[in-house]
Amino acid sequence: MKKLVIIPAYNESGSILKAVEDIREHAPGFDYVVINDCSTDETLAVCREHSLNYVNLPVNLGIGGAVQTGYIYGCQYGYDMAVQFDGDGQHDAAYLEMMAQRLEETGSGMVIGSRFIEKEGFQSSGLRRVGIRFFSILIRILTGKRVTDPTSGMRIVNRDVMHIYADNYPKDYPEPESVTAILRMGKKVTEIPVVMREREEGTSSIGGLVSVYYMVKVTLAIFMEWLRK
Amino acid sequence: MMTVKLQVVIGIALLLVFAILVNMIRRRSLELKYALSWMAVLCALLGFVCAPGLLIVVSDFLGIYAPVNMIFFLGFCFSLVIIFSLTVALSRMSNSIRTLDQMVALNEKRLRELELELKKTKAEKQSKGE
Repeated sequence: MKKLVIIPAYNESGSILKAVEDIREHAPGFDYVVINDCSTDETLAVCREHSLNYVNLPVNLGIGGAVQTGYIYGCQYGYDMAVQFDGDGQHDAAYLEMMAQRLEETGSGMVIGSRFIEKEGFQSSGLRRVGIRFFSILIRILTGKRVTDPTSGMRIVNRDVMHIYADNYPKDYPEPESVTAILRMGKKVTEIPVVMREREEGTSSIGGLVSVYYMVKVTLAIFMEWLRK
Repeated sequence: MMTVKLQVVIGIALLLVFAILVNMIRRRSLELKYALSWMAVLCALLGFVCAPGLLIVVSDFLGIYAPVNMIFFLGFCFSLVIIFSLTVALSRMSNSIRTLDQMVALNEKRLRELELELKKTKAEKQSKGE
């Protein structure tokens, strides 16, 4: 089984090396690729200095475009599964093997590392939790399937879904929309409990008024996905 | 201000436009992100059609004598906002294209140089082999 870790990175010069080392140490069965989303800090220099395996985007695309580049890479190089992994140190590479196993055992299209099954570790801020709960309920209503952490960036997919995402992936706030898309296509989505750490360096890209736009846009986008099948 | 007939006609037209918009987004002919401003305008117009009293309230608030004038004025303002947002998106996009153009050109040069080097190394190996 060829397994790939996709690490989208935008201005993660402080934590990207640690993330890669975490993968090398705790998930040696995985290959990795850093997708440098036209960072304005020293992320690219760090990648070059330490000979990391990276792809350098000449124009910034945002998280959706960067992750999609990873999926395209996965298809081109013939990987059987691809997992998304944050470059900021929030994700723990120890879960990767577990997720790969669960993917195979259950024959799922996707396995999500959910923060909210065991409710351990970093649980995100209160307002965000309300938003996440909202999307959880919305997806339940529209697809009948239960997803406790639809915004989790820690997700592993099989080859089928990799190809689907390589062709079509949302540009911003992609997680809830993309889960809905494959659920509507009849793909199986399973979850395992994971513990995430608090963000060490850098800043999150969602805050304040942007949150309102985010909620409206993602809600509409989920309805669109529901309409597509 | 608005006859019931006019309300129904405009209402149906708006719903039709809304359906066309949604279908285009569904088919991926239109990006949801850019369609949002159009959807906002449609909702505002539908609001006025369903509650014509709102027309009078808003035109009074804005200090405009005739509600009909206010519709034209607001419609014009909405159009300007949408056009401006498109101008902004266009500017960003033209910059992205410029960067891509340059990257492709520079990558092509690197490839050419690599091919040349490869040919040279192969030629040297061959001549050594003889």
